[in-house]
Amino acid sequence: MIAVPTRADRVATSPLGRANPLATLAIAIAWLVALATTTDVRPPLLVTAVAIAAALALGRVPPADLARGLAPLWLAALSVGFFNAVLSPANADPTATVVLAFGPLRLTEPALAAGIALGLRVVAIVAVGVAWSRITDPTHLTDALVQQGRLADRFAYGALAALQAIPWLAEDLVALREARRMRGLRSTWHPRVLVGLLVLAIRRGDRLAVAMDARGFTAAGRTRYRIVRWATLDTVVVLAGLAVLAGIVALR
Amino acid sequence: MSSAPIAGPAVPEARWRTRDIVVTAVIGVAFGVVFWAWGLAWSPIEAALGPARFLFYAVWLVPAVLAPLIVRRPGAALFAEMLAAAVSTLIGSQWGPDTLLSGFVQGAAAELVFAFTLYRAWSFPVLALAAIASAAAAWVHDWVLYFPQIDPAAIILFGVLMAISAVAIVAGGSLFLVRALRQAGVLEGFPGGAP
Amino acid sequence: MGLAAEGRAGPVAVVARDVAVAYAGRAEPAVAGVSFDLAPGACLLIVGPSGSGKSTLARAVAGLVPWSVPGRLGGLLQVDGIPVGGPDPGALVARVGVVFQDPSSQLVMERVEDDVAFGLEGRRWSRPAMGGRVPAALAEAGLPGFGRRRTARLSGGEQQRLALAGAFAPRPGLLVLDEPTANLDPPGAAAFGARLAAIRDARSATIVLVEHRAEIAWPLADLVLALGADGRPLALGTPDVLLTRHRRALADAGVWLPDEPFPPLPADGGDGDGSPGGAPRLVEARRVGFAYARGLPVLVDVDATVAAGERVALLGPNGSGKSTLARLLVGLLRPTAGSVRLAGRDPARVAARDLARLAGYVVQDPERGFLADTVEGEVLAGLTPAERASAGDVAAALGLPLDGFGARNPYLLSGGEQRRLSLVSQLVRRPRLLVLDEPTFGQDRRTYAGLLALLREQLEGGAALVAATHDLRFAGDVAGRTIRLAGGRIAEGAP
Repeated sequence: MIAVPTRADRVATSPLGRANPLATLAIAIAWLVALATTTDVRPPLLVTAVAIAAALALGRVPPADLARGLAPLWLAALSVGFFNAVLSPANADPTATVVLAFGPLRLTEPALAAGIALGLRVVAIVAVGVAWSRITDPTHLTDALVQQGRLADRFAYGALAALQAIPWLAEDLVALREARRMRGLRSTWHPRVLVGLLVLAIRRGDRLAVAMDARGFTAAGRTRYRIVRWATLDTVVVLAGLAVLAGIVALR
Repeated sequence: MSSAPIAGPAVPEARWRTRDIVVTAVIGVAFGVVFWAWGLAWSPIEAALGPARFLFYAVWLVPAVLAPLIVRRPGAALFAEMLAAAVSTLIGSQWGPDTLLSGFVQGAAAELVFAFTLYRAWSFPVLALAAIASAAAAWVHDWVLYFPQIDPAAIILFGVLMAISAVAIVAGGSLFLVRALRQAGVLEGFPGGAP
Repeated sequence: MGLAAEGRAGPVAVVARDVAVAYAGRAEPAVAGVSFDLAPGACLLIVGPSGSGKSTLARAVAGLVPWSVPGRLGGLLQVDGIPVGGPDPGALVARVGVVFQDPSSQLVMERVEDDVAFGLEGRRWSRPAMGGRVPAALAEAGLPGFGRRRTARLSGGEQQRLALAGAFAPRPGLLVLDEPTANLDPPGAAAFGARLAAIRDARSATIVLVEHRAEIAWPLADLVLALGADGRPLALGTPDVLLTRHRRALADAGVWLPDEPFPPLPADGGDGDGSPGGAPRLVEARRVGFAYARGLPVLVDVDATVAAGERVALLGPNGSGKSTLARLLVGLLRPTAGSVRLAGRDPARVAARDLARLAGYVVQDPERGFLADTVEGEVLAGLTPAERASAGDVAAALGLPLDGFGARNPYLLSGGEQRRLSLVSQLVRRPRLLVLDEPTFGQDRRTYAGLLALLREQLEGGAALVAATHDLRFAGDVAGRTIRLAGGRIAEGAP
């Protein structure tokens, strides 16, 4: 059986894929926090550009995949931009230049600028979000959390095992909603669907827990099949991230 | 929706069994899946609501109250909420680390309320308080990150609406769900499963 | 006592004396009075009807009761001399590997090799030893080279073989398997059975097997324990002894026995040519294709018709598209190519209210279809007042009279009762077409016979039946015609 490198493997072996997920996560969060402190349009543009470029070049994320992840972004950015602009207190300021007046609505220049800046902030956050999600392998993240983050391993691997149930819970949800249609009920969303899903989920959780116990999950002193060590690559990634952070601060 | 106090065991069992860990996690995962599926259909409307999107959002806070109500152990709120966030990060993952951040603050806020009661009080007022705390965390997060330029009066208004919907949907919903789950017999062996 | 060193020891003995097991919160034991001596390397097969406590006993033997599965253990049960329910459950975990019934609920990690290694990590194997053992265990389980694959993408049969690899990798002295092929199609079950046979022939572990599929299980057994519906032993002995002396009793108790021929399969036919005397066509699928967004096509160019009152079996292995076609026929999915017509209308566009009266759809797992918290609520959901009046009769006819069962919670019913409730909830509207998705998986002989009787009776009224199934016996018993699918297309020719 020939092992054909899959798309996921290409990402996993890329520089960003091999980097410690805790490092990339810390950087991503640092950028988010820094973005929250500015309403200049340049920092979010910088972050967006870096995130997308890094994902494509250093993460080997397929462009189509990245584009698909970014697709919902426009709606969210427009929504945030719109509300910030329209509900800004600057609109009530009589000294500000009016850009648009429509009935009782007054849109002033500073409010519009703020709206654009915040819309761009959303673009940046989503770009970082999609890029990070696409380069991060959940198992790798869990290993790093346990081995470097000192997270209790029963919780970390218990969580990882529960995440494996996602496809089946999604099917259960579809089946529960289809059942409502087949009984002549037009609304396929109902609290009972949630009850049904939780019943199936808890039963599945019970089975999973027994299976894990049967494989020695609760024994003390578990050994490790995969080791995560801090490498030079990780230091490089952190330094690069700090450089971008400095850029954000400088551009404010 | 009962307002009678629901007493927990006299000395809360602090040690997590495998079953407690996995079931708490899976509850978070189930909500993550629901949130994703619902979002597929409703995201245009959610975007159109802007800061009032919390009206849809409330479902996502339920694990932070439901899971502790079932397993009654320290850390359940945070753990379940982080799992729901992890699911959102993995599928439909446009928000990435921001989702994890949201999940963390929302879970931690509810956790603080339960910790304050030493994990012994599970009556409706306590659940409502945890729900409000969680919603408040979400409110602050959204305000700082996404809606900092909005008139503070509007923000306050949205905050009040979020608190009300949190109490109804999150606290009320958790009680409804626990009762339904208990009647279905899946909560045997959990502290929250004893009527 | 600690955990085992890396793979030595060899098969272990299991001793049971008057063992009883009760689940937490239940007064009555699920199984009681069990005694046997199982020599190292031997294989014990546990058989019995549904509800006879086979799984409960298997879990107890695996050492999982009471520390992981809450419950009470009575009598003496020892594995390798270590008492079950004693102070050191870890010692038992070190010696036992378990394979459970549901393949997907045993998947713990995202990649195959990590999943196998999971059990080794728990038994404290060193990293170099794990590195060598994981590929070897995969090869032994019939999954060579699968290490980097994603567990979620494996077929059910592959997932079960993965579970076997994971259970067997630490070289346990005892291997316990609880209905391992129940959720698999015949090819998957056969592949699993072959791997298990190899382990059993090598006598590298003692085996305790709970299994319905007689043709796989009985040839492997050195000792057979038959449990009755009350959870008490009916018979214990070698396969020959049980088959010669107790055959009748076992069959009556609901146990599937080997060497029982299946009824002949009806003729193949994609369109309604074989239909009874020119009955009008109820379902027409023309050149139907289906693919999920961005996915590979599941169905390609499928033609199928069903006449009113006809009984058709959709046959094919898992992944051949049977379930998808079944859902297309009732409009739960829209075809991406071609068309489907149900009573002349496109079922995907029919309003829910009308669709429910045209067709009923019974899923494999009844709990995926429950809408209410009482049986009565379940039966009456979505019914018009006129229909409510007769609903009680339908329920009673299927053994769930509303005055007895009405207030009970559907999730608390037994498996057989849940199945009947599923059927009732679809039949109350007297639909013209009834579609069943894998109606017989994991059923014992008696519930199977009951299902057949129910279907024949209820379909007297002229409804058509389409059953998507991989159970050839059921197809032979029920269907007048078969439609065979392979790889998403209609397959021609003999089985």
